[in-house]
Amino acid sequence: MNQTRAPRELQVIGLVFALAFAFPGLYLIWRNFTSGADPLSLLFTNQTLQPFWRTVRLAMLVSLSAACLGTALAWLTTRTDLPFRKLWRVVLPIPLVFPTFIGAAAFIRTLNPGGLANDLFSSIGVNRTPELRGLLGAWLVLTLFCYPYVYLPVAARLRQLPGSLEQSALVLGDSLPRTFRRVVLPQISGSLSAGTLLVFLYTISDFGAVQLMRYDTLTRAIETNYLARPPTAFALSLILLVFAGLVVAAERSVNRRLPEVKTHRAHEAVEYELSRWKTPAIFLVGGTFAFSFLAPMAALLDWAADGVLRTQRGGRPLTIDTSKVVEAAANTLSASVITGIVALIAVVPIAILVGRYRDRIGRFTHSVVIATFAVPGILIALSLRFWTLRAGFLGDLLQNSMAILIFAYVVRFASLAMGIALVAVTTVSDDLHDVAATLGADRWRRFRSVDLPVMRPGLLAAGGLVVLSTMKELPISLIVAPIGFPTLTTRIFGSFEEAFVAEAGIMALVLVFTSAVLTWFLVLRRVDHL
Amino acid sequence: MYVVLRTMLHRTLPLMLTLALFAAACGSDQFQIDASAAEIFPGECVDGTGDEVTIYSGRKENLIEPVLDAFTCATGVSVQVRWGSSTQLALLIDEEGNHSQADVFLSQSPGPVGFLESKGLLGAIDHDVLRLVSEDNRSSQGSWVGFSGRKRVLVHNIDLVAEAELPTSVFDLTDEKWKGKVAIPGTNGSFMDWFTVFRDQYGTDVATKWLNEMVANDARYYPNNRSIVEAAGRGEIEVGLVNHYYNYQEAIAVGDDHRAKNHDLDDDDIGSLLIITAATVLKSAKNPEGANNLLAYLLTAPVQSYFTNHTLEYPLAAGVEPNVALPPLTALEIGSVNFDALGGGFDETARIIEASGIQNQ
Repeated sequence: MNQTRAPRELQVIGLVFALAFAFPGLYLIWRNFTSGADPLSLLFTNQTLQPFWRTVRLAMLVSLSAACLGTALAWLTTRTDLPFRKLWRVVLPIPLVFPTFIGAAAFIRTLNPGGLANDLFSSIGVNRTPELRGLLGAWLVLTLFCYPYVYLPVAARLRQLPGSLEQSALVLGDSLPRTFRRVVLPQISGSLSAGTLLVFLYTISDFGAVQLMRYDTLTRAIETNYLARPPTAFALSLILLVFAGLVVAAERSVNRRLPEVKTHRAHEAVEYELSRWKTPAIFLVGGTFAFSFLAPMAALLDWAADGVLRTQRGGRPLTIDTSKVVEAAANTLSASVITGIVALIAVVPIAILVGRYRDRIGRFTHSVVIATFAVPGILIALSLRFWTLRAGFLGDLLQNSMAILIFAYVVRFASLAMGIALVAVTTVSDDLHDVAATLGADRWRRFRSVDLPVMRPGLLAAGGLVVLSTMKELPISLIVAPIGFPTLTTRIFGSFEEAFVAEAGIMALVLVFTSAVLTWFLVLRRVDHL
Repeated sequence: MYVVLRTMLHRTLPLMLTLALFAAACGSDQFQIDASAAEIFPGECVDGTGDEVTIYSGRKENLIEPVLDAFTCATGVSVQVRWGSSTQLALLIDEEGNHSQADVFLSQSPGPVGFLESKGLLGAIDHDVLRLVSEDNRSSQGSWVGFSGRKRVLVHNIDLVAEAELPTSVFDLTDEKWKGKVAIPGTNGSFMDWFTVFRDQYGTDVATKWLNEMVANDARYYPNNRSIVEAAGRGEIEVGLVNHYYNYQEAIAVGDDHRAKNHDLDDDDIGSLLIITAATVLKSAKNPEGANNLLAYLLTAPVQSYFTNHTLEYPLAAGVEPNVALPPLTALEIGSVNFDALGGGFDETARIIEASGIQNQ
């Protein structure tokens, strides 16, 4: 660990970012005061506690299953002779891009009575498929769409780790599971806990899946009260945010006790032969792929095909045309890629403050950034309108601009990049730094030629997470985007809400396709070169 | 960082350029309208006047974009739209206060309009526009005007429930016979609007008792109208309280596999209420004249015909008859209901609904 003090300019940057990311939280506190909300007395009522415990229970279950699934997939695709590894690496992150309201709807429509999958089960004699709803339904859907939060950082970390330790352990007679527990797990634990934290925070802020699965959580209570009883909605949101802050703090304190593993740079890959485990491994990876990607895709294709066939038979024409799809796709693509880049720029200085200098300002900023992930998107959107309207000239300048949209997206999603960037920073070896400094390289040069190459897989994974999440973002895209800036998600939402199912299906397919191209370009091709 | 930036740019720039070129090739300067807009306004487009109206629309693109295109074509006034959910847009307008960009707010249900009215954010609509619809379908203060309607109905699965078995009133649904068979969109905006009117008409005690008995009768909770119609269509539930619109859309989308139909409760039953979609002009509107012109345009015969024939809603103006597929409306149903009660009574409605526990059914 480097014990030198953090450079002053880096601390200033950290403070500025802390302030920028605190906008939604400050807004929420302000609104609690001005609306006469009383979060403390609300906290211990049944109306709050019941949905609150449901939220916590769901978040714990989803975190646990997503952590196991994500780690297993990451290990199998990076460390073994699993067939079609390249293909898996392109497709496994993609489920992240399904907006949960579409993903959940696809599952419900296909698995519940009368659905396609339900009919298939009936035809092979399984007549009682359980109705997909409640805790089970929400858990299943959120696990299937959230495991990439764990998979991406852990896979990036594994690809970067030296295999020598593992091989030594094996040579010395440790079994593979024991090696995994004693050697691999400690090395990936930072990425694993950062990713799991994201799953947890995402789950407590999700509305789309839990609402359709009819699992009554805190976000549903908030949503119902926005218009009817605004003080209640603001108070419940503040409770959610404070809870998220506590969880983040807890994760930090666990994570700080974890051992650190330094890396010089990527090493030649280790590859285990799966041999008799090959079939179960293929089942796990293929099964995940089938449920989290193929199943919702089949449902979407079904909706889209129905619409196209209907038009050809002379039924009601589709209400979208190609130019609208292309416009929305271009908007989605440009906004999300820029957001990914800006989020990395915002996150790396904070990660350096925390990871390298153990700086107090950095730790504070880090917690603010991560906890913000639990704030429902609509509140981030409203808070930005609140602040820009009170920013005078600057506000007028920013109103209706791309800049404010990107800023809002970054506030919403930079947390996704934070944990991974932090792991990336802490893996850079201090020796290398010292050597470079001795050789006369200035700080910027050291950053470029020492830190960046080591950090790159992590940073690309971090950027990829931000980009994929931004592509599916809804409330900010509706409320903060410049007027006349439709994205694919806003189009999907508009169509789906009014039961224009075919249009929603087509837009969602374009969204998935666009994200597949992006994961190919952004994350995987570069990493494979290492 | 530089390397990351460069990598990202190198990898994505060509893709983005291609898409941008494609998008540019598709657009053009001349204002053009598509076939469905031309159906509303068949003439030549007039030149742009430079005038502009900004709308926050809770009504989605698919249902109104051709109408707005036709308006621009016919008047030369350009229209800027922020699309969204009615609730979220109402919250946004509340947050923006006097600085809102919006001239017009279009709401899918009365609740968000009542919310904005209670905050004093709605301006007065010109009397010439108001009188285009009957008194029942506009605000007595002149702050909103209905432009289409959706009727509350009982959607039912045709394989699970015989026509003769169907009830005539929502009060029948608390009977043992319907135990565990009725779906209710408990926390959905339009259901909350309906329940508020229910309280207004029958008194809070009667309405609350009904809801509690429904919960005791194992009524099943769904998040919204659409998911109930889907569930009824595939046989997951027997019947559900929804508005009439979604079953038509679902039947179009799914075809014969959709096994649900709307059932009308008695004309004078609260379960047959017509819920209006409402247009408002904001107090802070920068172009109130353009806003009023737009509202008047929504109430013209071609647009009202478009709403009933394409989106299968009830027309409210210009003497346009409902599409033949829709069950006829009797005057009684719309009458006497005081929609202005919606804004104030909303708080209590939310409390009663949460206390009933319907959301956990």
